[in-house]
Amino acid sequence: MSNKEKASLPAKPKRTFAQKLQRANSRGDIATFFMLAPSVLLLLVTSVYPFLWIFRYVCYDYNGMNAYYTGTRNFTRMLSDASFWGSVGHTFEYALLKIVFIIPLALIMAVLMNRKIKGSGLFRGIYFMPTIISTAVSAMVFTFIFAAYNGILNAILRSTGIISQNINWLGDPKTAMWSVIIVAIWGGFGNYMIYFISGMAGISEDVYESAQIDGANGLQTFWKITLPMLSPMLKIILMLAITGAFKDYDSILVLTQGGPNDRTKVMFLYIYQLIFGSNTADPQIGYGTVLSLTAAVIVGLVTAVYQFFARKLDDVM
Amino acid sequence: MKKKKVLSLIMATAMVLSLAGCGGSDNSSSSGSDSSAASESGDAAADTADDSAADSGESAASGDAVTVEVWSNNRHDETYMTQKVEEFNSTHSDIQINYTIMADDWSNSIQLAYQANTAPDVMAVSASDGLKLSEWVGAGMFESLTSYIEGSEDFKTVTEALDHKYDYLNSIGDDIYWVPTGVRSGTRIEYNIGLLKDAGYDAVPSTLAEMVEAAGKITANGAGSYYGVGFTQNGFGRWLEGIGEMSGLNHMGYDYENGVFDFTEWAELLKLGNQFYANGDVLPGSETQGVDNNRALFAQGSFCFWGNASQEAGVFTDQFPCSFDWGVAELPTMEGTVKGALSCTPNFGWAMLSSAKDKEAAWKVIEYFGSEEFLKGYFEGGYSAPLGSYMAGKIDASKTGRLGDFALQDYEDVYPSVPTVIVDGDDYAITMWNVILGNLDADEAVADLNTRYNDALERGIENGSCQRVTIAGFDKLHPSKGTAVYGE
Repeated sequence: MSNKEKASLPAKPKRTFAQKLQRANSRGDIATFFMLAPSVLLLLVTSVYPFLWIFRYVCYDYNGMNAYYTGTRNFTRMLSDASFWGSVGHTFEYALLKIVFIIPLALIMAVLMNRKIKGSGLFRGIYFMPTIISTAVSAMVFTFIFAAYNGILNAILRSTGIISQNINWLGDPKTAMWSVIIVAIWGGFGNYMIYFISGMAGISEDVYESAQIDGANGLQTFWKITLPMLSPMLKIILMLAITGAFKDYDSILVLTQGGPNDRTKVMFLYIYQLIFGSNTADPQIGYGTVLSLTAAVIVGLVTAVYQFFARKLDDVM
Repeated sequence: MKKKKVLSLIMATAMVLSLAGCGGSDNSSSSGSDSSAASESGDAAADTADDSAADSGESAASGDAVTVEVWSNNRHDETYMTQKVEEFNSTHSDIQINYTIMADDWSNSIQLAYQANTAPDVMAVSASDGLKLSEWVGAGMFESLTSYIEGSEDFKTVTEALDHKYDYLNSIGDDIYWVPTGVRSGTRIEYNIGLLKDAGYDAVPSTLAEMVEAAGKITANGAGSYYGVGFTQNGFGRWLEGIGEMSGLNHMGYDYENGVFDFTEWAELLKLGNQFYANGDVLPGSETQGVDNNRALFAQGSFCFWGNASQEAGVFTDQFPCSFDWGVAELPTMEGTVKGALSCTPNFGWAMLSSAKDKEAAWKVIEYFGSEEFLKGYFEGGYSAPLGSYMAGKIDASKTGRLGDFALQDYEDVYPSVPTVIVDGDDYAITMWNVILGNLDADEAVADLNTRYNDALERGIENGSCQRVTIAGFDKLHPSKGTAVYGE
């Protein structure tokens, strides 16, 4: 539109505040504002404010009570902190392996559970249950299951002849990472399964009927219909899975405390241990905040890279 | 359509108001106004109003009595404490104790509460909590108890408060911040008498090398059904550290005479400790299980040697009763002779927070917890052992059960506080545990600890977060007797 055309348009009538309010109300803006206000407020108080708060201590040794200025040492220490960079490596390993297994498993289970067969509702509930069980409690139960001496897993494997000697699942560096990943998959796949099922509910039955008329078999229907039409949902699920996997640490804290010999120490577990300290180590909140910021940048970068590649999932449709 | 909008607007308003109600102050007048404002929006508001009414009813019932908030992190004595608090409350119309047992993460809970102005008036303190007194006092969180103690003859006599001053543990200079009344003994070896006898031993060996050998024989006898030793997660501090102390190695790696960290002599002990794992004499996976899991396994005879302090007296009597005869032995040493003090842990003390609303009332409560009648029942109940000779002479030892097996030895003492350093990487306990597990080389690990701890000490001195301490006339067998000298 040229400037001349713009000039020829009639001027917008000026509205009074009351009119603006009435107009906003009629469009539902006020109700939306009040609906959003509690969650926005909570987000500001519990996420944004703490995030900004931690910037205060990046140049200090802070133990929760007193802060001692250390200049740039927290940053230089981070660069040469082998434990931290090791934990970053473990985080990538953990996240990658978790996602590689959990997403296909959740998808397969969702396809199976989505079929109108007797008892599928019950199984949906059973598979979803780990999501609503406290992570600490379920991890504690798994410490008993994985126990090397009298754990039920070793007992089953021995009785079926799969192993001849007990495996120290959580204490052996070769098996500890796999053990915590198994717990993570068990605890999370039911949740993603529900997301997939809700995504499938949005796919029209007509499309499946057309495919059947064209003679497509089950596998072809899955690859050519279900999966492509789930791609917008898959994109979201993958993002949730990636960010979730990078931030996991609570079950690992209970299962191995990051051991043996730091083999299962992931970024946020290391940060947690620094910030909360122990009987033999004072809290290191200042250094922990520097690592928290670095970890946030790492997770942010991973998410950005994923978003870049995930755009292709939109084009599938 | 319009109805829907009005309804959604009302709902949204109700949500915002209820949120505001959640964040309201505990001031009774303000909760009153909250509830009256919210009372227009249905059942939830009615509940709020009910709660508020109940609150005001309670405060009316208590009249002018001062409520002293007391927090403790001790769960094992809950029954006794609850009973004694009820007794106090029923006999005092002017002061009421509100006793709360907190969950884990004790230190952080108190700090957060203090910052949020919701801290208790009085809190339980034990040396094993790892609270760094200088930091708490530096932050202005603790109130000095010295003047109160000096004004209470009974308290001074019963607790021997002036004789149990430990620099930077419970006092700084003339100021006493908490008074320990009990003591947790240093570590002992609890053992399965039958399994040890079957291996040809009448008593726990007196050297660590012999103990490694005994563990091997027991494991061989067990043939996979039971083992020589059980550890737990990060198990170094349970008893191997005590063996080092009794063998004359530097407590927490700190050389009190020269004011530097020196872990060098620990290497030999770590190599021997590693033998338990290298020889396969440790209950498989015990290092991945929590303390209670391993206690339960000991109690069912899965391994012979378990190391822990006097709290095990109650554990193996009530919590996980053993189905066999179990004994308590002193720790072995490296060479069979005691060359240094085994650190014991003063406990069961009470500190007053500087934010206490009524300090006189708070002191009355601390005085009550330190009274003869209160402590007699506490010690006879086996919840702790008396630290001082006064209470030791007052209790009937026959009532303390297996706690008698953990009686303090001459070589047990309280070490002066080691400078608090912020060390890069794993602390000494985790590093040493990794050596024992076979993940690190002993000599390299102690050399690395020396470097990291001394670097941290120098940095701490430079930025003012710690100070070097040397002990004039330091005696490894009586570390609390020397004179602390602070400075760079």
